Amino acid sequence: MFGIDVNAAAFAPALVLLIVAAMATLWSLFEADGRFMAMLALIGVVMSGLFNVQLLLEGNASGTYLSSFGLKYLADAPAIGFNFVILIGTALAVLIAYDYLGRTDLDHPEYYPLILLSSCGAMVMAAAGDLITLILGLEIMSLAVYVLSAWRQNARESEEAGMKYFLLGAFASAFLIYGIALMYGATGSFSYGSIAAALQADGFSNVFYASLGGMMILAGLGFKVAFAPFHQWAPDVYTGAPTSVTAFMSVVVKAAAFAALLRIASSFFTELPPVLNQVLVVLIVLTLVIGNLGALLQQGLKRMLAYSAVAHAGYLGLAVLAAGTTGTKAAVWYLTAYALMNAGAFAVLSLMTDRNDHGDALERFAGLGRTRPGLAAALSIFLLSLAGIPLLAGFVGKILVFQAAISAGYVGLAVLGILTSIVAVVYYIRPIAYMYFRDSEYKAPEIKSRATSIAIGLAVIGTIGLGIFPGWWYGLINAGKSIMAMAGL
Amino acid sequence: MTLAVILIPFLVALLVIFSPRGMAYALALLSTFATFICSLFLAGSSPLSRQWIPGFGSYFELSSVGAASVLIPVAALVMIPTVYYAGYKVVERTSGLLALLLAMQAGLNGIFLAKDLLLFYVFWEATLIPSVLMLGIWGREERRQAALKYLIYAVAGSFLMLISILAIKPLSGAVSYRITDLMATTPNLATATQIWLFIGMAIGMAVKLPLWPLHGWLIDFNEQNHVSGVADVAGTLYKVGGFGFFAWALPLLPAAAQSIGLLFLILSAITALYAALIATTQTHLKRFLAYTSLAHMGIVGVGVFGLNIAGLNGAVFLLAAQMLSTGGLFLISGMLYERKGDFDMTAYGGLSKSAPALAALSLFILFTSIGVPGLANFPGEFMSLMGAFQTYPWVAALATLSVIAAGVYGVNAYQRLFQGEQKEAIREIRSAEFLVLVPLLAGILWLGLFPSQSFEHIDEQSSLLTQQLEQVDATPVKLAGGN
Repeated sequence: MFGIDVNAAAFAPALVLLIVAAMATLWSLFEADGRFMAMLALIGVVMSGLFNVQLLLEGNASGTYLSSFGLKYLADAPAIGFNFVILIGTALAVLIAYDYLGRTDLDHPEYYPLILLSSCGAMVMAAAGDLITLILGLEIMSLAVYVLSAWRQNARESEEAGMKYFLLGAFASAFLIYGIALMYGATGSFSYGSIAAALQADGFSNVFYASLGGMMILAGLGFKVAFAPFHQWAPDVYTGAPTSVTAFMSVVVKAAAFAALLRIASSFFTELPPVLNQVLVVLIVLTLVIGNLGALLQQGLKRMLAYSAVAHAGYLGLAVLAAGTTGTKAAVWYLTAYALMNAGAFAVLSLMTDRNDHGDALERFAGLGRTRPGLAAALSIFLLSLAGIPLLAGFVGKILVFQAAISAGYVGLAVLGILTSIVAVVYYIRPIAYMYFRDSEYKAPEIKSRATSIAIGLAVIGTIGLGIFPGWWYGLINAGKSIMAMAGL
Repeated sequence: MTLAVILIPFLVALLVIFSPRGMAYALALLSTFATFICSLFLAGSSPLSRQWIPGFGSYFELSSVGAASVLIPVAALVMIPTVYYAGYKVVERTSGLLALLLAMQAGLNGIFLAKDLLLFYVFWEATLIPSVLMLGIWGREERRQAALKYLIYAVAGSFLMLISILAIKPLSGAVSYRITDLMATTPNLATATQIWLFIGMAIGMAVKLPLWPLHGWLIDFNEQNHVSGVADVAGTLYKVGGFGFFAWALPLLPAAAQSIGLLFLILSAITALYAALIATTQTHLKRFLAYTSLAHMGIVGVGVFGLNIAGLNGAVFLLAAQMLSTGGLFLISGMLYERKGDFDMTAYGGLSKSAPALAALSLFILFTSIGVPGLANFPGEFMSLMGAFQTYPWVAALATLSVIAAGVYGVNAYQRLFQGEQKEAIREIRSAEFLVLVPLLAGILWLGLFPSQSFEHIDEQSSLLTQQLEQVDATPVKLAGGN
């Protein structure tokens, strides 16, 4: 193994999370206080963030990016951008969990190390430059999330959620691994660049196996991002998992899976026969329609947000189609906004529900505009942003994604995306209408949590700030490049 | 000054939300005065341009050249009595309503000032939320249905418009969304492409104008809004569809305008006539006002789609004038409701005996609304129709029938409310209410008697538009390709 470059700076953000997670695991043998662990986790997130800022500034200043293990681990602009998304999602999930776990009798100190491990895996996925690194990251991330989604012991929904997620997840991983094996068999290599080169080469004869492999990789990752028809786990798991875990899953797991998908789409996916691209288009169409219509039918906010997460996978899918041009940047921006507004909405939800996460029916929100004006205003901002109303972050994300799709020639899909967005406005506005246009029928819960309020506050500031001044963050993303793009792949 | 007319109401709105009632009222009033004063200095104020989303080609670019320096002062003038009236008529959650009114004003000024297509859309869509909230929170019994209907119409329209907006830059190859960059490249698009883009934009704008058959939301919107009429006034100011066609859709897509403009001209004429005829049959005061304002918007449409300079100038002028007249009528409807607790016009009658001053003022504004010369609506209405007569006389003649109908419904309404047998004495107009109407009367007289300065401002923008349209005429090959 000599002669392979090991560049610690490239994977420092992920490494910090891993080290803190390991420390916290050991510490949890002596210290049973979850809040202490949460603080430790936050420190880890901040340190990781600092390393990431350094990577970003150095990369944008010099125009060259670090990589490690011979282009198997890339710290280029997309990876750095996704690291930020992952860290934002992790920080918000930790802040939500800070009081929530104690309140719901779920406070075990192992919670936070698992969150950090999962984030570490997500970063590895986003940085993966070859399929083996990808599967490593995916498993690190997923195993922790399987445990987290079944965190509420003795509650059937949570156990069912964990079990369902684990079984289907294992199935999807198997697909992915089999796809990787086929791809290796067909092209003789694991790294994205070499696969693309092999596919482009004259006289490449294993088109069938490569396509089959590509299809299976697409299915495996499609499961993780919850593309329809692989989305069925999402509503149940999102609803059954504790709200803090749902917030984490809907943001971090989704971001990592999209990061991987975008890398594949911008490297070798387009070299495969066009039928694969058509399959992807079909998946996106299904996701847009099923996600939005599904959300429209829900009566509970948590399940509505679960379906809306599926719908957003569809919008991000548009960016995947344009991954070769501006799609990756658009997706990083979109997911940044999504992390803030979606985790923010779950944070509000965690203050509304009882110990078993029940009580998220829309009727419960009636009159909240009077009884808890701050909470109602914050939730309205998150929902309007998710709906893509201007001056909020979600709007800018949406136009970047649609613009990328139109520029890449997918005008029809963009039109479908906008038409389904009209449906989305209806289901996002409905809770707002309940909160402001009706009088309360129930006594509003009086749960207060300083940590969750901080999370909500940060998410509100981020959602509005990015909406009004999108320039600086898009400028930072836009200045950066992908290593694979620089290598001409 | 350019930025001030957006920032003042926006920032004060943020303060107002968190202020107690009295403080909020004072702040909001102060803001409307400050905005009005700033708006008077808009003409000739320096434009503003900053990158908004670098790499995406969107700029935060504002300029007051053109119609903005007429529409914004007039809207700002209307806002003063509206906020003043809202402050003492709306007792529930007053701070919230005042904040939303100011937020709407900020957004509205943004719509008029934006010189970047995406920025225009941002203001256009952001302004929707306050108006939906005003309807949903302070409206009457069936407010929720009305709000949902309004929201779906508006969002469906504007999202379709967004598709065209997003597509227009990559398709035309323009370097940015600024109007100067777009106008240089978009006329070169093939006519068929232009027509598709135009249809997308036109649906969004036709909903807001509104044009028949997309006007369904308007009637419920006005019927269900708060009885004081303040939210209706804000809604009247926000009928920016005509402005959207004038400032964006037509200049950017001139070939489409030439080839399918006639369709929209006919729809506008139908809207004007249809609404005017229905208005003559209405007995519910607010529905009546909704239909009269719809009839005016039809004439705005006729002026815009006449596609010549006289009609365009007239249409924008009428847009400004009807902010004053329709706004004034909605405020008077609030005053009448306060006295009798009813919008049924047949329940009124003979009010001029007990409230002669109120009757006189109402008559004055009704006269403005039906287009009596010397008052604000007349020059706009006259020029709009004249413009259309030059291109399509038959359609214009159809629309002119609505002006005759206006005479009928105007006089009818006055007779129903103020003449005949007095059923019940009502209180004469209070001095506070008189103060509400003073700015509107001043504005009506100003626009009616001295329209020339406003026309000069509007002309700066409409002449650019007619140039774009003439370029299409100069290259007949492309036109033929589209037909």
